Amino acid sequence: MKYDICIIGSGAGGAPIAYELANAGYKVVVLEKGHNYKEEEFTKDELAVSRRGLYTPLLKDEHHVIKERSEDGTVTRYDGEEYNWSFWNGSMVGGSSNLMSGYFHRMKPDDFRLLSKYGKIDGANIVDWPISYDDLEPYYTKVEEVIGVSGDAVNHKFLEPRSTKNFPYPMLEVNGVTKWFDSACKSLGYESIPTPRAILPYGALGRKSCSYSNFCGSYGCATGAKGSARAALLQKCDAKIISEAFVYKLDSDESRVTKVHYYDKELKNNSVEAKMFVLAAQAIETSRLLLNSKNIHFPNGLANSSGEVGKNLIFSAGGSGEGRIRFESLTTKQQKELMQAGLFFNRSLQDWYEYEDNNRKYKGGTIDFLFEHANIISRAKREIYDDNGALIWGEELQKKIHRNITTSRVLTFEVFNDWLPTDYCNVTVDEKVKDKYGVNVGAINLYSHPHDIKVGEYLAQKAKVLLEKMGLEEVSVNISASPPPNLVAGGCRFGTNAKISVLDSNCKAHELSNLYVTDASFMPTGGSVPYTWTIYANSFRVADVILSRLKS
Amino acid sequence: MIFKSRRTFIKHSVLTSVIFVTCSGELFGAVTPMRTIALVHRDLFPDSATAPKIDDINASYYLNSILNHSRVTDASKNFIRNGAKWLNEESAGEYNKLYLKLSALQRQKILKKISDTRWGESWLDTIMTYLLEATLGDPIYGGNIAKSGWLWLNHKPGLPRPLKALL
Repeated sequence: MKYDICIIGSGAGGAPIAYELANAGYKVVVLEKGHNYKEEEFTKDELAVSRRGLYTPLLKDEHHVIKERSEDGTVTRYDGEEYNWSFWNGSMVGGSSNLMSGYFHRMKPDDFRLLSKYGKIDGANIVDWPISYDDLEPYYTKVEEVIGVSGDAVNHKFLEPRSTKNFPYPMLEVNGVTKWFDSACKSLGYESIPTPRAILPYGALGRKSCSYSNFCGSYGCATGAKGSARAALLQKCDAKIISEAFVYKLDSDESRVTKVHYYDKELKNNSVEAKMFVLAAQAIETSRLLLNSKNIHFPNGLANSSGEVGKNLIFSAGGSGEGRIRFESLTTKQQKELMQAGLFFNRSLQDWYEYEDNNRKYKGGTIDFLFEHANIISRAKREIYDDNGALIWGEELQKKIHRNITTSRVLTFEVFNDWLPTDYCNVTVDEKVKDKYGVNVGAINLYSHPHDIKVGEYLAQKAKVLLEKMGLEEVSVNISASPPPNLVAGGCRFGTNAKISVLDSNCKAHELSNLYVTDASFMPTGGSVPYTWTIYANSFRVADVILSRLKS
Repeated sequence: MIFKSRRTFIKHSVLTSVIFVTCSGELFGAVTPMRTIALVHRDLFPDSATAPKIDDINASYYLNSILNHSRVTDASKNFIRNGAKWLNEESAGEYNKLYLKLSALQRQKILKKISDTRWGESWLDTIMTYLLEATLGDPIYGGNIAKSGWLWLNHKPGLPRPLKALL
């Protein structure tokens, strides 16, 4: 059977295409490497999900080679299995969108013109996007409606232009501590923003409401309230989904992809033919697949005559911080408010999305605030060291765990700022190491531009001041060059010049008439927000382009 | 029951096969890692007025499951076993006795001593991690009997809870 369209990867990049085309009557097949979980299987089993990596491949079967470049130019090689360093996310139908926290921020208009607005930075490959915020705005709105985004679009200095007045779904219920947060913000002159979430506050779109189970990030949603690609899109269309199908090669002639090859769970070889192909296997794996799909027409890898496939890999820069709210400083009523389980915190700051320092304008970023994750084992585990970093045990440890968990809560923040694209951060293929399928693994070359840390630290200090204003104890900040594996983009940047980009402005490969890439690979810069909303929006945009082509 | 045959499961565990302890290059004695670690568990998490009792945590049983877990690496499993051997060798070197034969005070001194070494800190961290997993993981894994750990910390588990253990 020949399909109209074959999609490789079922996450936020692939699912909107499946949803739109299948609902328009086209024959769609989705190849997904991971398992097809049912909603009721999404238990809150901390041991399985958070400590044994239920949703990611075993590193002895599949891993990456990581080559980390330091400031002085030395490169250290790490075997992912040996060092237990994983870049896998949600290997499952719906991809890592199942496991996201659903903190949804739009990119700002200036994010689309980073070079024009803020100028060059030495050592960074900054470019403007080939599309503008205005091109993507209708699709951000579409995501709000189809995926289901809840929030309250309060006015603030960097509120992006909206074609609708407010979100289609009202804010989720929040913990009483947010009042203290808002008050502290007011006294500091900060603008507290309710964090939009891709979570339904009530039953809608054929899905149930949020159950406030207190376990969101890292876990699948058992009610379907979280706007995963699985719950919001794949379950709402009749695209054929083939799970546990690992695609290892794309065939092509000189101008068209003709076939994809995959191994099923029995490691048997299969193939699929289609008129059009969409690649959305997550940024690192998408580049790896193209590089592993060399043929006589594309000896450097599919769609890679420019040599740009895998280049300019980016992550979300920044880091995190935290402080502890203790009972001792609270009234009885406040203590009860603090311990309200399940209710969200949902507050963000974007006051410094752009800022000036020493008479220079900087592109800043976003700070999201949230309570420490409810995972009880992790919360107890963090107590086994004393303030001097020495292990403690016995009754001393038991008392510390009990006190900290039953009479205090940790408020954390996450900083999101641009990870500047550079020549040293990219994906290649390791020529020696193979995975369980016998396919060469991806090599991740890591480098973080010093500018990223500088901006991250600036933002983190603003958040630190706020936590101290709220009276929190043990306030700490951790900004680093560590790449978050769940916030990765680039590798197949889009652009108008085929010599320095892989995709055109519609995310079609410059060199192939029927291959699109719609995961975060297309992004030349990442903005200073989590990527998922933008991936969804862009994928809906590309779906319209493909639909238009198929109709004509 | 989590396991069809708990007896068979324990019989084949790497924790119940004997390790040989050497001191000054000579054979000093033999002991099972399980007996050593079971006592370490009690030393790290003693019975107290408020915390769950070590028998309610069922930590040794849980650790056995970790030593047979499909998603725990062989390197981690070997480290747990080797650490028990090294702990006994430290005991032999310091007090001329296996860890099991030491007084409570001597055992605490040995634990403190190894916690100041790189391997010892890492081993105790590992043992403590699995101990806390047993204390606070879902009871379906065999630890946290009658939700004793959750009750201790007023913890409400997320729903739905697992219907079967991932092993």
